[in-house]
Order: sequence, then C-alpha cells, then structure tokens
Amino acid sequence: MTTATPTASTLPYHETYTHQEHWRNQEDEFEGAKLGVWLFLTTEILLFSGMFCGYAILRIFYLEHFTAASAHYLNWKIGAANTAVLLISSFTVAMSVRAAQLNKQGQLIINLLISAVCGVIFLVVKLGWEYYPKYIHHELPGKNFAYADHTGAYIANASDPVFLAIYWVATAIHGFHVLVGVLLLLWVAWRAGKRHFGPKHYTAVENVGLYWHLVDLVWIFLFPLLYLV
Amino acid sequence: MTTIDASSGGVGAHAGEHHGASYLHRKGGFMVTVWDWATTIDHKKIGVMYMFATTFMFFLGGMFALMVRLELFTPTMTNDAGQIVGQLFANDVYNRMFTLHGVIMVFLFIIPAIPAAFGNFLLPIMLGAKDVAFPRLNLMSWYIYLFGATLAVVALIGGGVDTGWTFYTPYSITGTAMHQQVFLVTLAAFILGFSSIFTGLNFVVTVHKLRAPGMGWFDMPLFVWAIYATSLIQVLATPVLGITVLLLAIEQAFHIGIFDPALGGDPVLYQHFFWFYSHPAVYIMILPGMGIMSELVTVHARKRIFGYKAIAFSSLGIAAVSFIVWGHHLFTAQTAMANAIFSALTFFVAIPSAIKVFNWVATLYKSSIAFTTPMLYALGFMFTFTIGGVTGLFLATIATDINLHDTYFVVAHFHYVMMGGAGIALFGGMHHWWPKMFGKMYNERAGILGFFFVFVGFNTTFFIQFLMGSQGMPRRYATYIPEFEIYHQISTVGSWLLLIGFLIHLANFTHSLLKGPKAPRNPWGGLTLEWTTDSPPIEHNFHHEPVIHHGPYDYDDVVPPFCDEKDFPLPAPLKPGAAKH
Amino acid sequence: MNALNHIASTLAANPMASNADLNLLERLMLSARSSDYAATHDMVYMVIFWLSVAFFVVVMGPYAYFIVKYRRKPGVPAQRSVSHNTPLELAWSIFPLMLLCVLFFLGFEVFIDGQVAPADAETINVHAKKWNWSLGYDNGALPKSEDYVNLVGTSVPVFAIPAGKPIRLVLESEDVIHSFYVPNFRKKIDVFPNRYTTMWFQAGNAGERHYVFCAEYCGDQHSQMAAMLDTLSPEDYDKWKTDHVLNPKDMFPADYGAFLYKQQGCNACHTVDRAKSAGTGPPWWGIWGRTENIEGGGQITVDENYVRESIYTPAAKIVQGFPNQMNSFQGLIDPEGISAIFAYMQTLSDEGQAKYEKDKAAWEAAKKAAEEAKAAQN
Ligand code: HEA
Ligand code: HEA
Ligand code: HEC
Ligand code: CUA
Ligand SMILES: [Cu+2]
Repeated sequence: MTTATPTASTLPYHETYTHQEHWRNQEDEFEGAKLGVWLFLTTEILLFSGMFCGYAILRIFYLEHFTAASAHYLNWKIGAANTAVLLISSFTVAMSVRAAQLNKQGQLIINLLISAVCGVIFLVVKLGWEYYPKYIHHELPGKNFAYADHTGAYIANASDPVFLAIYWVATAIHGFHVLVGVLLLLWVAWRAGKRHFGPKHYTAVENVGLYWHLVDLVWIFLFPLLYLV
Repeated sequence: MTTIDASSGGVGAHAGEHHGASYLHRKGGFMVTVWDWATTIDHKKIGVMYMFATTFMFFLGGMFALMVRLELFTPTMTNDAGQIVGQLFANDVYNRMFTLHGVIMVFLFIIPAIPAAFGNFLLPIMLGAKDVAFPRLNLMSWYIYLFGATLAVVALIGGGVDTGWTFYTPYSITGTAMHQQVFLVTLAAFILGFSSIFTGLNFVVTVHKLRAPGMGWFDMPLFVWAIYATSLIQVLATPVLGITVLLLAIEQAFHIGIFDPALGGDPVLYQHFFWFYSHPAVYIMILPGMGIMSELVTVHARKRIFGYKAIAFSSLGIAAVSFIVWGHHLFTAQTAMANAIFSALTFFVAIPSAIKVFNWVATLYKSSIAFTTPMLYALGFMFTFTIGGVTGLFLATIATDINLHDTYFVVAHFHYVMMGGAGIALFGGMHHWWPKMFGKMYNERAGILGFFFVFVGFNTTFFIQFLMGSQGMPRRYATYIPEFEIYHQISTVGSWLLLIGFLIHLANFTHSLLKGPKAPRNPWGGLTLEWTTDSPPIEHNFHHEPVIHHGPYDYDDVVPPFCDEKDFPLPAPLKPGAAKH
Repeated sequence: MNALNHIASTLAANPMASNADLNLLERLMLSARSSDYAATHDMVYMVIFWLSVAFFVVVMGPYAYFIVKYRRKPGVPAQRSVSHNTPLELAWSIFPLMLLCVLFFLGFEVFIDGQVAPADAETINVHAKKWNWSLGYDNGALPKSEDYVNLVGTSVPVFAIPAGKPIRLVLESEDVIHSFYVPNFRKKIDVFPNRYTTMWFQAGNAGERHYVFCAEYCGDQHSQMAAMLDTLSPEDYDKWKTDHVLNPKDMFPADYGAFLYKQQGCNACHTVDRAKSAGTGPPWWGIWGRTENIEGGGQITVDENYVRESIYTPAAKIVQGFPNQMNSFQGLIDPEGISAIFAYMQTLSDEGQAKYEKDKAAWEAAKKAAEEAKAAQN
C-alpha cells in the first residue's frame, strides 16, 4: 500500500469488508462463524448417528437377512461410482478455499462449479439408476413393499422391507443434504463472481466447504454400511 | 479479580454523554412499531417476544391441566342402575387433554422458556456484549419457534392427539383417524428442534467469542455458565430428537416399518431414541433454572456464592452425564443388563445436582436475606426441587421403579422438578429481572401474596400424588377406582390455589406495565453487568463497552453500582491475618 | 394415634386385601403387601424413604435456620465468610455418592432376585389387547359371566391364582404396548406386540383380591383396562379351574353371547345398559333391527349379515360418529359364537328382555326334562 490507495469503490468487496457492528474485529467474526458451523456440523453428525444406530440394532436383529438384502437390492458399482464423484468434489472444494486464500479468482469459481456439478451428477445417478428402478419394482419400505420379485429369482425375507426402510430414509436424507449443498455451492460461486471473496474475507467459502465435506463424510459411512457389508 | 475501581460503576458516570434510546422506545406509529419488532435483530426484543409467547403457552397448558384435574375430581363408577357416573369428559377427550398439556408444557413452554427468553435477554448483557454472535440467526430461530408452535397448537387443538407427550409406537402410528394429527405434531417437534439447536449454537459461540475484555471464564455469572451447559445439551441432543420424530412422521405417513412391530420394526427402539433426547431435555429444563437460582440467591442474600467453580463445573457434569442415563425410563421394557447399567449411571447424575443444592444452602450462611418475591421463589425452589430430586432416587432404584413406573409417583416427581424446579425458578427470575426488562416496578406485596398461593397450591396439588402413586394409581387414567377419590380431590383443590396465584401475578404484572413506578437501574443491588446499564437497557446495551473490574459476586468488597453505600453497607474487613477467601 | 391409624387404613388403596401388617407410615405410602417379593421390595422402599428424609433434614435444617437467623436487618451488612471449603465440598460429594452406590446394589439385587421364576412355577399365558386382559390357564379355564365385577365404569373379569405357589406369566399383546401391573405384588412388566415378556410372583394369603391395572398408555379405555386376581387356597384354585372350563353347548345361546361379550372384550367399547352410556363403539341397547347411518352416506339395518361383517371386517362399514377403532375378530370368534352374539343382541331391548326370560325358562325346563329323562333311562 505504498502508492496511491485506490478509493473504496474500486476495491473488490473482500478488500473493504468490515465486520458487523457487534463483533470486536474481523478475526473474531471469522472464528465465531467457523465455530458456529462446526457446532452445526456436529448436530448433523448426531442426526445421522441416530440413523446409524437404528441400522445397527435392526441389523443385529436380522443379521443374515440384511446381508442378503444388501446384496440383492443394491448395486455396489453404482454406489462406488457415486463415492468417487463425491471424493472428487471434496477435493475441488478444498481447492476453492485455497484459491480464495491466494486470491485466484478464476480458480475459485471453477472449483466451486466443478463441485456443484459433481453434486448434480451424484443426484442424477441416485435418482435415475437407483430410486426410479426401485420405485417401479416396488422395492419400497414397509407397507408398500411387494414380495413378488420382478426377476423371479429372489425370495424376499420378511425383514427386507425394514432394510429398504433404512436404505430409503438414510439415502433420502443424505440426498437432501447434497441438494442443499449444491445450492449453497452455486450461491457461493455466484458471490465469488462478484468478487466477494479474497484472502481477507472468505468466510462463506470456508464454511460451505466444511458443510460439503460433511456431506461427503456421511456418504463415506453410508456406502460401505449399506452396499458392502 | 477483586480490585475495587472507582470506575466500576463508571458506565453511569458517562451516561449523560451518549444518551442512547431505550430498546423499548417506539420509533413511530403502531404499524411501524409492529414492523420494528417483527424484523428486529435486537436480542432483547427477541427475548421479550419469547417471554410473552412462552407465558402464553404456560397459561394454555395450565388451562388444560386444570381440566385434567377437574375430570379427576370424581372417580368414574357404575351406579346401581348400571349407568356410568362421575365422568365429565369422555375418555378420549381426557386423553387428548393430558397430551395437549404435556406437549405444550414441555416443547412449547419449559424448554424454550428460560434459555430463549432470559438467555436471549440477559446473556449478551451479562457478558458485556452488544448482541449475540448471530443476530439474524437468532431472529430466524424465533420465527422457526413461532411456526413450529403454531403448527403444534393448530394440530393439537384442531382434532387433537391422544398419544401422550411421548408418542410411543406402535400406538402413535396406528392408522385411526385421530392419529393423522400425530404427523403434524411430530413435524412441529422437528421444527421446534431446529429453533432450539440454533439458539443453543448461537449462545455457545457468543460465550466463546463475545465476552467483555477482562472477563475470563470464571468471571462469568453462573447464569451464563448454566445457559452455556444447556446450550451444549441442546446442540448435542436435539438432533437425535430430530431424526426420531422425522422417522416417526415418515412412519406415520408411509408405514415404513422401522418402529412398527407389525412390519418387522421395533417399538422399543423408538423408546430408546425418544429418551436419548428427552432425558437430556429434562436437564435443558432444569439447568437454566439452576442458573437463575445462583443469581437470585446471591443478589437477595447479598452474599458471594459458595463454591463458584463447583457450581460451574457441576453444570457441565450434569450436561455430560445426562446423555448416558436415558434407559431409566425403560426399566419395565428392556433387558436386566441394560437396567443395571442405566440405574447405576442415573445415581451419578444426582451428585452434581446435590452439590448445587448444598452450595446454595451454604451461601445463605452469614448472609443478609431479603424476603423479596424473587428470593421467596428461590427459597421455595430449594424446598421443592430437593423433594423432586430425592424422589428421583426412588425411581432410579430398579426394584422400586418397577412398582412406581407409570404411576402418579412419577407424575409427582416430574412436576416437583419441572414445575417446582424449573417453573418456580422461572417465576422467580421473572420477578427479579422484570424491572430491568421493562423499567417498571411491580407491587411487592401482591408478588409475595401470589408466591404463597403458588407455593402452597403447588405442594397441595402434587405432594399427595406421591402417596397415591406409590399405592398403585397409574398415570394417564381418565377414570380410577373410588379408593383414590380423596387423594385426587385434594390435588384438584390445590390446582385451584395455583390458578389464584397465577391470576394474582398476571394482574400484578399487567398493572406494573400500565401504571408501575419507574424502576431504578439496580433495584436489588446486583453486581452483574445488566445492573450497570439503564432500566430498560438502551439499544446496544451499554453506553461504553464495559470493562470488568470485579467478579460477579464480590458483595464483600464492592458496593453495587448505582446503589447507596447506606443501603448496601459492606461487611467489616476480616481481622488482619485471616485469609481473604 | 388410633384415629390416624383409622384414617390410614381407610386411605390405603385396596380394601379387598388386608394391609394390617403394614405400619402407619407404610399404609400411607403402600398398598397391601401380598407376596414375599412385596415384603423385600418394601424394605428397599423404606430404606430409600428414610435416606431421603435424612438428606432432606440435613439440607432443610440448616436452610431453615439460616433463613431465620440471617434475615436482612436494615443497615446491617452480611458477615464476611469463606466462599469455599475444599474438605467440606469433597465430603458432601463423596459421602452421598457412597450411599447411592449402596442404594444401587440394593435395588439391583432385589430386582434380579425377582426376575427368575422357580422351576416348578405354573405358567399362565396373558393375552393383552385394547382393552382387556385375558389369562390363559393350562386347562382352558375362563371366567364366567357372573365372575365379572363392576369397576371404573366397566365390568372386568376376576381370575383365580393359588396362594403360596409360584406363578409364571408369559405375556403378549395383540395390538399396542400394554403393561401388566399388580400393585399388591409390586410387579409390573410391559407387554409387547412382537415379543413375549415374563413375570412371576407367589401370592400370599388366600381370600385376598388384587387389582390388575394397565400401566402403559394404550388409548381410549386405557384407564378401564383392569382385571382382578382372587387368591385362592391351592385346593380351591384347582377346583376353580375345573369349574371354569366352559362348554358352549351346555349354555343358553343368549347367555353364551353375553359371555363372549365380556370374554372377547366387546364390553371395553360397547355398553349394554338401557341408558345407552357412551363408549368407544355404538351402544348395543336396542341395536337389533336399528337403522344406522354409515360413514360416506347411506343407511343400513342391523341384521345377521351386517353384524357378522362388523365383527369380521369392522372397517367395511363405519357407523357415523364412531371412528373405527375395532379390530377384526376373524379367527377369534367362530360361527357358533357369532350366532350366540346375535341371540344376545336380540335380548338387548325391552321386548328382547321379556322374550329372553320366557325362552330361557322354557329352555331350562326342557333341559331339566331331558336330564330327568336321561336319569330315568339309566
Ligand atoms: C426438570 C426435569 C427433571 C429433572 C431435573 C429430573 C431429575 C431426576 N430424575 Fe426425573 N423425570 C423427569 C424430569 C426430571 N427429572 C420427567 C419429565 C420424567 C417422566 C417423563 C415421562 O415419563 O413422562 C422423569 C422420570 C424419571 C425417571 C423414570 C421414571 C419412570 O418412568 O419409571 C427416573 C428414573 O430413574 C428419574 C430419575 C431422576 C433423577 C435421579 C434425577 C436427578 O437428577 C435428581 C437430582 C437431584 C437431587 C438428588 C436433589 C438434590 C440433592 C440433595 C438435596 C442432596 C441429597 C441427595 C442425595 C444425593 C441422596 N426421573
Ligand atoms: C413444565 C411442565 C409442566 C408444568 C408446569 C405442569 C403443570 C401442571 N400439571 Fe402437568 N404434566 C406435564 C408437564 C407439566 N405440567 C407433563 C410432561 C405431563 C405428562 C403428560 C403425559 O402423560 O403425556 C403432565 C401430566 C399431568 C398430569 C397427569 C395426567 C395423567 O397422567 O393422567 C396432571 C394431573 O394432575 C397434571 C397436572 C398439572 C397441574 C395441576 C399443573 C399446574 O402447575 C398448572 C398451573 C397453571 C395454571 C393453573 C394456569 C393458570 C393461568 C391461567 C389459567 C391463565 C388464565 C389466563 C387469562 C385469564 C388470560 N399434569
Ligand atoms: C376397540 C374397541 C372395540 C371392541 C373391543 C369391539 N368393538 Fe365393535 N365397534 C367399535 C367401534 C368404534 C364401532 C363403530 C365403527 C364401525 O362401525 O366399525 C364398532 C361397531 C360394531 C358393530 C356395528 C354396530 C352398529 O351399531 O352398527 C358391531 C355389531 C360390533 N361392533 C360388534 C362387536 C363385537 C361382537 C365385539 C367383540 C367380539 C366388538 N364389537 C368389540 C369398537 C369396538
Ligand atoms: Cu392397555 Cu393401557
Ligand atoms: Cu430421565
């Protein structure tokens, strides 16, 4: 800042950003927001833990049948593909935070957009290759389950609807989180386009990134539990 | 921490310079004011709105309680002519009434009441901050609460739910017409959960990041510690309620069979899920009440709190242990092994509560007790909460709980801790901070009269329930065998005394708002920061950012700000050579 | 003291079982003590009670004293005093903790001792449904119509149990969770729809009658889901069991219908008094031939076909004003039983009563004549 300082209006938003009035300084505000997001993520983890506990208990109830149901109803290849997609997106999200810190505006936007696209791919695969076929074959939870299997080769167990209940509910809640994540990524990308983020101010990028990592992490647990074991 | 600085009350010295407007100051006409309140991000206004909402809910829930008691005034019998007599409401009406009562009191009144109303109003001020960490999130929590509450009340009143506040499966998911409302109510509980989580999260960050310069963790008032511990429970336990009620709602709507035994699910799994939240939730109810207690006892007895750190850490201890005792609600439903574990753990949770009670009593030692309305409530709390707590020990012991489970003994226990603990602390706190919140004093005599009606009425209503419960009177009974008639009648009469008490308080507060004399800044002589600012506080709480010069309870060494040394004389110094602490 | 004693014994919950062996204090808090386990339980209960009283006094004694002693006097400051004291604080944390450990072991031990039934216990199956209890004895004995008593506005069955012999209950529910609670035995166990739970007890004195309550909320008539247990001497008990094996063929059809009305639990929802008291389902007085408005429009006359349909598929036609709460009794009531219910319903009107009395007298005369003829033949 030796030469003529540009006027405030010509500076990008992230250079001129000042903290909200009730904070003491920008540092505190950033730290506070991050702490808040971490706490929120904790609640998300606990929410999914509830699901996992329910799964564990019912699995102990119906051990062999759950294994058989997993092998029959779920295709691990689709799950694995989706896992890969999410892992890539996690990486690009991390890259976008780095880009913001280094003030590389182009990279920031590109990385955010790639992440969002990955999220969309995940959802399309989920809906098109998993939910829709299951829906038309009545591989649905509880009351809506049809025991007559469409291939005719598989004999359903009484606990299959319970397995499918867990599958549908857990993946649907997760899918909802992916959807929210995609919207958040697009929102951050849009703001990045308006030069809102830079080395001094990238709270939203950081926090949406954290959220996206969580969505990824949950899937990392869901995938083996439902598809593999 | 105990340096006495002339400027400790210094905020006021400069007050004349920046005269900020009171947060209650109206900026325009009626519509402008409404809009101002509806869009406010001022933690004080949000707190006040919560206070009115939760008080409304208390009255609503209380009205259903009165109807419950009215029905139980007479047993139902078959007379000689074979007719059924003694029934005021049909069974299903009664069942909906106690469900309404329980749901409203728990989810809409006691859980949000202290943290959201007093926490919001006081926490930032006590920390010397201008607002909570995320003011807009705070406003959002308020609207989420409002939305959830409306949904719940509409679902409950428009048709009603007859499941009890615990929504046990499979009863709550059977497909009869009445249960369609269960879906709405569970959804409402889910939504209210978010409100609770966001409020808790906000407070945790506020405590971590917005303490005034110079305020270390152990310079915080104990009310703040209590709210902090409560917020942690809210953040960590509520998500499990979220997933539970979500699954319940999905089960209700699509019959997916996770909790439904007819479809292969497990109803006891539901009970575990439910209590995993709802047990910690009982400490969400009581911890803030205990926080209020620590303030009331010190201010009105003008005494440094005994065992500050023990009280602060026992709050955290309760918060931690509360997560691993939920199985004590299932002694008649789970395995003997699980019973043993949960019973043992339950006893541990009694210790931190006991520590607090002992400390409060010790605080009274050599103090100077003023019998103001708030102090009477605080003293009442110690009495009723101790009864409620020790009767918890009968329930924590497996052998006796097998007999007492789901009887009126349990009903009496939880009213003694919820109403006699959290509730009474809340009413005490309301009288204590009323002058600060609205800048008006209330009539002290009317307050004391109201207290006596509430206290006597409360004990009349609920003490007798211990006796009938341990004699075998099951709960959630619309009709009962005639042997219990006299017990129920005493209890019902008690509920009328309670009604009189609350009507007196209501009249007193209304009168205070309309015609009450102006309140001074520090009517009780408190040392925490809220007493250094105006009554009612100005928009950003303080004229200058406060700097901490003394601890919140240094009554031995500091004349409370804005109080006269004449009214609040300091004790004589200890003899030379004697230890200071 | 005598007056107090009197009050306490009248207050005690169950006048049909003696609480003479309880002391005054115990009578205020506990119901009659009718099994060995109840006595052990009460010992634990009283230990906790006295412990609580002791703690209460320890806390409330100083509290009351301080309140009086240290009330504020104008111009007099509080005295300086310490604000913490580590030994004291440790003492009041550790000492209660130790006592609580003792409590835990006491409660756990008594509980575990009460868990395992002796090998020679007689098993009785308990079937719970909304909203009645039925006990299944090994020989199929069932309470007769006259064994029902009026309680809490409904009539509940009285079952028999032997004195001094262990009984093991195996419980299961047909619909939602219920809980089998006998205050005089201090025992309670939840009853689930998808699993069997067990409980055992050994009743004390013969000649006592005990309440059975449902302690888990189960809907409309939860508070009326009661039963009674009569403790009989072992000989009387065996006699009761053989006496109570019913043969429908020996009964007048309308009486058999009346028996089913109670035994199948129709009485939980349907009243049969002249005043047509309210219930969960439509009252049965005057039901036969009555015209009902059906949910969704239309009317129907109550006749054989409709009643049969209502019992086997209650959801088919719903009477207006009564949301369907009734489960199907398919498989529970056989065609013979259905006919008996027709006969019973037909007696539920003024004319029906008169006809019933006439027909029953004729039936009894005919039966007697047949028996005499049989005797004469031999
Ligand atoms: C504010 C709410 C609140 C609080 C604080 C508590 C506190 C406690 N509760 Fe309570 N409880 C409820 C609300 C609460 N409870 C509700 C709502 C239910 C029923 C829900 C339903 O079924 O609808 C319930 C039910 C309940 C049960 C299940 C009963 C059943 O259904 O069968 C049990 C069993 O262990 C229990 C135990 C305890 C214990 C040991 C404590 C302890 O934390 C108490 C600790 C306090 C003290 C011990 C008193 C102070 C101490 C002293 C004065 C020192 C001397 C004491 C000694 C240490 C000996 N409670
Ligand atoms: C914080 C929680 C809370 C509070 C404060 C109360 C307060 C009261 N409760 Fe409640 N209660 C519960 C929580 C609470 N309860 C729960 C969770 C259940 C279990 C439900 C279930 O089983 O599912 C229960 C169950 C319960 C039962 C058992 C029902 C049964 O099992 O069959 C009974 C019976 O006596 C009862 C009575 C009362 C009474 C008399 C009060 C009194 O203290 C109420 C006093 C209040 C008033 C008297 C209101 C006065 C004010 C007005 C009326 C204002 C008038 C307004 C204007 C003029 C504008 N309650
Ligand atoms: C759980 C409560 C319940 C029990 C137990 C019950 N019913 Fe019902 N019953 C109802 C309700 C509610 C209705 C009205 C709704 C309908 O028509 O299905 C009804 C309707 C009927 C009707 C049609 C009545 C009319 O006025 O048209 C008959 C007949 C009937 N029940 C017979 C029986 C018999 C026989 C039994 C026992 C074997 C029995 N019910 C047990 C709840 C019950
Ligand atoms: Cu059956 Cu309550
Ligand atoms: Cu609990």
